[in-house]
Amino acid sequence: MSLRNLSRQRIKVLFGIMLLFVLAIMVQLVRVQYGPYAPVFAKRVEVAESLSDEVVPVRGLIYDRDGDLLAVNAPMYYVEVEIIQLTPASRREIAGVLSQVLNLPYDDLRNQLEADWEGAEQYRIRLRMTTEAGNDWPIIVDQVVADMLNAFLADPEAPDLSGLDLVPAPQRSYPVGALAGHVMGFVNQLGEGFFGVEGYYDDWLTGQGISVQGGTVPLQASRLPDTPAGVNLVLTLDLDIQQMVTDILSQAIDDSGAESGQVVVMDPNNGEILAMVALPQLDSNHYEPWLPEDEEEEEPVINPIVAGQFEPGSTFKVLTMAAALDADVVEPDDIFVDEGVIEVGGVQIRNWNGGKWGPQTMTGCMEHSLNVCLAHIAVDELHANQFYAYLEAFGMGQLTGIDVAGEVSGQIRTPRHPEWTDADLGTNSFGQGISTTPIQLVTAVGAIANEGVMVQPHLVRTVVGPEGEYWPQTTVLGQPVSAEAAEQLTQMLYESLQGETNFARVEGYQLAGKTGTAQIPDEFGYDPTWTIASFIGWGPVSDPQFVVLVRIDRPETSPWGSVIAAPVFRDIVERLVVMLAIPPDDLPQGLVAGQVE
Amino acid sequence: MKRRKKQAYKKGEQRLPTRVSDRVLLPVVAFLLISGFYLAVHSRHARVGREVLLLEEEKAELVREQAELTSTLAELTSPAHLLEQAEALGFRPASYHDMDFLEIDGYIPPAPFVPERPPGGLEHGDGALAPAFTETLGERLFSWLGWGR
Repeated sequence: MSLRNLSRQRIKVLFGIMLLFVLAIMVQLVRVQYGPYAPVFAKRVEVAESLSDEVVPVRGLIYDRDGDLLAVNAPMYYVEVEIIQLTPASRREIAGVLSQVLNLPYDDLRNQLEADWEGAEQYRIRLRMTTEAGNDWPIIVDQVVADMLNAFLADPEAPDLSGLDLVPAPQRSYPVGALAGHVMGFVNQLGEGFFGVEGYYDDWLTGQGISVQGGTVPLQASRLPDTPAGVNLVLTLDLDIQQMVTDILSQAIDDSGAESGQVVVMDPNNGEILAMVALPQLDSNHYEPWLPEDEEEEEPVINPIVAGQFEPGSTFKVLTMAAALDADVVEPDDIFVDEGVIEVGGVQIRNWNGGKWGPQTMTGCMEHSLNVCLAHIAVDELHANQFYAYLEAFGMGQLTGIDVAGEVSGQIRTPRHPEWTDADLGTNSFGQGISTTPIQLVTAVGAIANEGVMVQPHLVRTVVGPEGEYWPQTTVLGQPVSAEAAEQLTQMLYESLQGETNFARVEGYQLAGKTGTAQIPDEFGYDPTWTIASFIGWGPVSDPQFVVLVRIDRPETSPWGSVIAAPVFRDIVERLVVMLAIPPDDLPQGLVAGQVE
Repeated sequence: MKRRKKQAYKKGEQRLPTRVSDRVLLPVVAFLLISGFYLAVHSRHARVGREVLLLEEEKAELVREQAELTSTLAELTSPAHLLEQAEALGFRPASYHDMDFLEIDGYIPPAPFVPERPPGGLEHGDGALAPAFTETLGERLFSWLGWGR
């Protein structure tokens, strides 16, 4: 072979190799572009290059005042399926495994896997489930299930789960379960907070997402920026007090056969909520039963302490008497002769037992909870304008502004209301014909415990963000009554607690308080069977450090607040003084608690 | 003289395909060299990018594991759980009858709890990399010529 031929031969071989190389590249390009996996690649590229690939920051954590975690972000996973990778066997196995592990209906899962998703141009689906309440939710599995499914995917001997994929999704988790559910609210599967602290501080807790381009394309990869995380919140709540109150209230509801109950414990000096318990509990981890099944269904009341209106009954007399003392229209020792009935606006008002109590001091009126006496004070001494001006100053019919979502304002009819009558003045004086929320009542009565100064109740003690800490200051809502009037009333209610309502006494501690037994309004007037038993009290009277409201709905064993709610107040305070290290009254205040050896 | 001509012809005969191959192959080889270089740089870039993505995934996994541990720890230290444990060990909640109070001079109550700050949300810079690693030739030229930028 001549040199020339040899060279030509070599050139041909070289060209041939290059041609093959180019052809191979072209075949691969055609295969990727038009082969069976083409739609999957196309979808992935679309997602990878999507402009709106959002990096969601971690939702802020929530602690109680001692640092116990109330809300964390637990790793959870959506169950997704890449349709193109499914095989007949894997459709069967995926449905079977998920059905057994998650206790879901097999047929429902199988139907989802068999549907014509490619016809609908969907190549990746998120499997869904129907909850007991009938809601349609994506299936979410926890780390344990995810580990098991991943082990199946990695094991060739395990069931064929080809096409199954677990996509991480941070999920809100509440380690203490239902203990503080009504306070916390909940976070839905889209990461949006509803009700409670989660709802009120949703924007702060969520942080700010950042859009990144081509987050999964290696050539465009770069270190992701830290997204501005949501703030961490420290609540005023004390989880130990919350647990103690829950246990006592739960026992009381069981013993009395009541339907529900609520307790609020607040520091009247600064408005910090130490405990906020509502039973039945809301478990924020499983909030679905609290969602209405359809739009026509009435929404259940989440956190009835801020959203549950009720006629307060005799606990409201505290405000009427405070107004009268402040307006200087009565003195604690003034005598009122109780005839057992008083007519106001054509309506006859009688005492709770229909009895005639004869001459009574103002302290006696409070001790025996005399409707006639209080109606007389409102109608004949205070008169309508002054009475309602005081109620407005106490915040009745207005939001307290507490930092939980879903607060309602309660309702009050004043003389400006077209349907208001004189009879309203008489009944309002002892807490009938007026609706309030437990938090409103605690806030208003807290003013009596705090020398007449009413402070805004709040649940967040510290906000900790990336830039630093923020300590919300105490907000004074006003001073509805003078310190002198508040002190007089506290003394009157301390004395009355020694008498009729001695179920609420705690040995060694001077406490003030008032019972309440309220009728429940219905479409025919008032329910003849059921009542709301309540008690509101504070102490120690020399330096009040707590206000406690107990409300028990529809007790079966007794209708009276003195029998049902007052002992609950006592049981709570007996433990509260230990937890707050409050020494008995015969010892100087401010000492440090210690255990007897 | 004749012999020289013949030799020259013979050499010329060999040079013809050489010239052809020079004209065709040299640009091809140059193209392949540049392409190869480009591919090498690009594939290295892709490999590093892939490594970055894997590290990001690893970081996300660690964050998830930490969240799982935090959640478990919070469950184990919840009041209900601790109360149960304490009762199992024979303890009971203290009553106010059990308490004695002592006056301690100079007692300072514990500082209120403050949690750690959440991540800052600042974009990472290029760390300690010198400009030579990141600046383009254009930027360098502009800088050298003192044209600002």
